[in-house]
Amino acid sequence: MMATVDFFIGLALGISLYLWQQFYFRSQVKKIIKIFSADSDRQVAISLPPLSLVRRELYLIDQKRQEMEQERDNWQTVIEQAPIGYLVVDQDNQLLWCNREAQSLLSIDRWRSGEVRLLLELVRSYELDRLIEKTRKTQKNQEKDWIFYFTRYASSIDDSAEKIMSLYSNRASSSMVSSIALRGYSFPLSNYQVGVFLVNLQPLVELSQSRDRTFSDLAHELKTPLTSISLVGENLLTRLKNPEHRWVEQMLKEITRLINLVQEWLDITRLQDDPTQIVKYESLELSELILSVWEILEPIAEKKQVTLNHTPAATVIIEGDRSRLIQVFLNLLDNAIKHSPPDRGISVNLTLDSSETNTNKPQAIIDIIDSGSGFAPSDLPHIFERLYRGDKSRTRNPDFSSENLVSGSGLGLAIARQIIYSHGGSINAQNHPQHGGAWIRVTLPLNRIRKN
Amino acid sequence: MSRLQKTTRCLENNHFERSLKRIQQDVLRMGTLVEQSFRMSHQCLFEREIDAAKKIIYLDKRIDRYYRQIELDCATMMTLQSPVAQDLRLLSALMQLVRDLERIGDYAQDLTEMAVKLIKYPPHSCLSEIRMMSEHAQLMLATSLVALADLDARIGKSIQQLDDTVDIAYESLYEQLAYQRNFPGVVEPILLLGLIIRHLERMADHATNIGQRVAYIVTGEIK
Repeated sequence: MMATVDFFIGLALGISLYLWQQFYFRSQVKKIIKIFSADSDRQVAISLPPLSLVRRELYLIDQKRQEMEQERDNWQTVIEQAPIGYLVVDQDNQLLWCNREAQSLLSIDRWRSGEVRLLLELVRSYELDRLIEKTRKTQKNQEKDWIFYFTRYASSIDDSAEKIMSLYSNRASSSMVSSIALRGYSFPLSNYQVGVFLVNLQPLVELSQSRDRTFSDLAHELKTPLTSISLVGENLLTRLKNPEHRWVEQMLKEITRLINLVQEWLDITRLQDDPTQIVKYESLELSELILSVWEILEPIAEKKQVTLNHTPAATVIIEGDRSRLIQVFLNLLDNAIKHSPPDRGISVNLTLDSSETNTNKPQAIIDIIDSGSGFAPSDLPHIFERLYRGDKSRTRNPDFSSENLVSGSGLGLAIARQIIYSHGGSINAQNHPQHGGAWIRVTLPLNRIRKN
Repeated sequence: MSRLQKTTRCLENNHFERSLKRIQQDVLRMGTLVEQSFRMSHQCLFEREIDAAKKIIYLDKRIDRYYRQIELDCATMMTLQSPVAQDLRLLSALMQLVRDLERIGDYAQDLTEMAVKLIKYPPHSCLSEIRMMSEHAQLMLATSLVALADLDARIGKSIQQLDDTVDIAYESLYEQLAYQRNFPGVVEPILLLGLIIRHLERMADHATNIGQRVAYIVTGEIK
């Protein structure tokens, strides 16, 4: 009797333990499934037995994995086929993968997919290497433009010297070194890997070169007929009476404007092509030069009641081309007068930065600040471009007569920049943080850059 | 205990491999800079880009810095890690090789200086031939750098054949310049051109040396 009771108690205990374990197992499985399964099919999942639930989940996960693999393959194909170059390097600067466009842009011809090699072994580009290093160090996106040169080499496939010689003599010599303008966008990835997008800028560079060339050719062609038209006009002028006389006079004025435009265009082209040949160096005193420019402009300034606040530094003597620099400051000060409202001043500050370090040579800094409304922020990057007119934004100010807006060829600042560059200086524009006027800063090295 | 030793040796090995790789990378970096300054001297000579003369000074400074750094790194590696066989050959050859690279960079800088002096004279008739010579020397440098990157002995040795072309060009240009008769004006342009072809010939020689050192790294044979 006692034994039976014991047996049943034992049995009950065993069964309850078993049931409890079953229950525990189920709830564990459900919990796990709950974590991993998507929200939508949770209802269905609860009602099924645990083992089939697990099977179902595994199946779903496998399906998802396959889908993702497929998607990954698709993305890989997308990048492979993309019209811009892409490459990724690991923490030791080894090339992990690059797409077809990158291979053709960088002339990577010794790399097979799956091979891991130093990027520098495949692409001898210091700029690309720097870009990647900088991205890794700063962990920030970087952007850089550079010209990539690729020098042909004698590969082992055609290692016989004769073959190279025949290539060498047959082809045009330019094929020995090819160059391409590139822009790289790099960004940090996980594990110190770095990805780089490469964009081919060569078509753009060629386009802008051919545009400039076309323009200067055109300017050249226009010069002669324009001159003869103006001569004929001047002759006509003496033989005509009003109203024809007035009309021709008007016409002559416009022709003179056109001739000036053409002349300036030719000037800037010449400056750009051969910067150092144009500059005739002599020693000159900057403060005195600026004052003499102001004397030329004084009549215009007086008409508008604009004054000059010139804070002269101690005598700053630089080596430069007098007439070219006068041209620059004439242009800058004229602009400043034009854009200043009446009864206000223009300040010109001349400072001397004589500290000499490795990167910093002694230089003169000229700040020209007017009291107008400043440049529109959208114009700032373009104001030194040829024929760019930021004037549109300045017409808001009603003080300007319309006559002022049309005058000027749109080349003045471009020429000014080119002249300053030829002197080895720099010029940049911004708005003054306090009074908002246009602020142009010119720096000129005190000594001429020694050519050797 | 033995397992611990094994792992430390493995780590050390890994460390050694990585430093070796880093040095190789620095040499390649220096190679790109040298190639760049050679290209600039070429542009300065034949396309009259005076700007190059200024830029090349900075390039040369950087090349010098790499040269010292690599030499020091190689010496440290050789003394502290005591490498054997190919690794030792690699390190000792790299030490010699950076010297060749540095020389090419120096010659390139000299060339730009001469180019600036040459600019005031009208172009000489044999300038196009010198241009070909300079291009060929650049091709040799590029080839030697490729050989170095791939550690390919065959390419390394093939550069020697390329050098013959430069030597022949040098001889013929020398004849043209030296035996010119009734030359009007000052001798400076001729003098400069003579020096330029001499420099180019030296640069080509250094490129050949690099190729031979690569062959030595791989095969261990000195020819």
